[in-house]
Amino acid sequence: MARRPVNPPAEGWSLTIPHRLWTELSAHLFPFGGGAVLLAGHAEGARGPRLLAYDLITATNDTAYIPGEYGHRALAPSFVRDAAVRARDESAAYLAVHAHGGLDRVRFSSVDTASHERGYPALRQITGQTVGGLVFTPHAAAGDLWLADGSRTPLAETVIPGGNLLRLRPCPVTATPAGPGHDRQARLLGDVGQATLNRLRVAVVGLGGVGSILVEELARLGVGTLVLIDDDTVEATNLPRLVAAGKDDIGQLKTDLAARNAQRANPRIRLIPKATRVEHPEALNELALCDWIFLAADSASARHWVNATVQQFLIPGVQVGVKIPVDSAGCVGQIHTATRIMLPGDGCLWCNRLIDSTQLAIDMHPKAERDAARYVPGVPVPSVITLNTLAAAEALNHFVLAATGLHDDDHDHAAVIHRPRTRQRDLQDPRQDANCRWCTPAGRLGRGDSGSVVQTATL
Amino acid sequence: MNTLASAITEAVEAVRAQFTGHPVEVVPDGTGGVFVTVEDVPVGPSYAPAVTWLGFQISAAYPDADVYPHYVGPLSRTDGQSHGPAVQSTGWRGQPALQISRRSNRRDAIVDSAALKAERIRLWLADQ
Ligand SMILES: [Zn+2]
Ligand SMILES: [Zn+2]
Repeated sequence: MARRPVNPPAEGWSLTIPHRLWTELSAHLFPFGGGAVLLAGHAEGARGPRLLAYDLITATNDTAYIPGEYGHRALAPSFVRDAAVRARDESAAYLAVHAHGGLDRVRFSSVDTASHERGYPALRQITGQTVGGLVFTPHAAAGDLWLADGSRTPLAETVIPGGNLLRLRPCPVTATPAGPGHDRQARLLGDVGQATLNRLRVAVVGLGGVGSILVEELARLGVGTLVLIDDDTVEATNLPRLVAAGKDDIGQLKTDLAARNAQRANPRIRLIPKATRVEHPEALNELALCDWIFLAADSASARHWVNATVQQFLIPGVQVGVKIPVDSAGCVGQIHTATRIMLPGDGCLWCNRLIDSTQLAIDMHPKAERDAARYVPGVPVPSVITLNTLAAAEALNHFVLAATGLHDDDHDHAAVIHRPRTRQRDLQDPRQDANCRWCTPAGRLGRGDSGSVVQTATL
Repeated sequence: MNTLASAITEAVEAVRAQFTGHPVEVVPDGTGGVFVTVEDVPVGPSYAPAVTWLGFQISAAYPDADVYPHYVGPLSRTDGQSHGPAVQSTGWRGQPALQISRRSNRRDAIVDSAALKAERIRLWLADQ
């Protein structure tokens, strides 16, 4: 297949489509051209409002996608009505989809535009939600949105978080050369790849051994904005594993140390430090505005809330962990590092039994009661910088290649398990429970703001 | 400000229904969940007092999170023995309490709902 254009994130309205849905939609649209409707939730984003596709209703050719009165083909009135009723009932955006010929560029025809003007004002009245039309080629997308407030706006980009983090626009962006500082890197990533990194807003949850390496490298790569989340302070026993930490840092917030390092690596970086636990609404609100989340905190609550954000706000992430089993006699078992790609709409951490619900209950207790609630008191687990580096490097390389479209396979998102004692490296595909309440359309997938991951108790 | 997530509101309603006739106090935990205290809960003749409060947290991560552990007011055994495993003296929300640590293995969100688990914990304690 021809090389796909790489587009940096755009300002304005965007649509995110989970890669499984995109695979299904692509098979329906290309090469013969079918019709379909996407249902989408809504959320704010760092560069503009976001529509979050969570379900696809395909129109069967000849019964639901029929020869049109004006254009080539059109969605049948009964199909439109049923989809609009679902959009209304689920408070979802209604987005009608079709395909055009071509590859890297796409625009609505005058027949398309005329049909939007005939149909969408009424449809918007029925649903009370954003409605609109989308037109795709395999490498490009355009959209015409009719917003609930009565205004009308074009769609700036369509994002598909898969093995690569695809961004489709009506036409490819022309590159402005990367600054001389990133010249060598841009020779691999391309000028548009470098510009992409610079516009991304990336979160690092957990700023310990793994997180401090992530922050250092993300800043040097040229990622534009980092959200840093950790409520912990530096202890003497952390110093061997924290990048550029010194004795004077003992007692300081890990967010302060990480921010200082990131600033030194890239003075122009924008930093959003949050010295709270990840489940704190302030941290969750920042996470929901990110383009990518690194999960480097190994608690059940961090796993749960990041998993929830990935699924509900369609933000890709990667979980990084190191396991070093040592028994009470000092025998070392099979060490492994795990780098698990978390994609919206795909087998999540709950589906893969990676969150313990009792541990989660304990983590959610107030600090004063958390330790007593742990019936078996915790003992410090081993931690070694070289093992942290192995897992962090896997996660960072995956991110850089995904963000700049350099992975061979758009669908490959297997977890990587390294076993350094035997020097084995295995790939593990995640499994998915058909009715998961997080990663399936039956659950909170793509529900954005209306799903209330972020909540405050009022009684 | 958003209202409490419906999963937690429903769980609280189910607890009130499970313990009809008992005062149930519900206090926000500050991170989207609630602390629940059921008053005047009978724990049987093995304990003095034989009636106490039963407290637990339904966290913002419910129903994905288990309800764990549970707390009751300080109790002593009428046979003079000490408490067995899974029961220990601790504090809860600033008051002395016994902590009851019964995790739900292979947790099922329906069987192990906040209301049903609270009643099972009460029965389990009474059986000790
Ligand atoms: Zn068209
Ligand atoms: Zn799942």
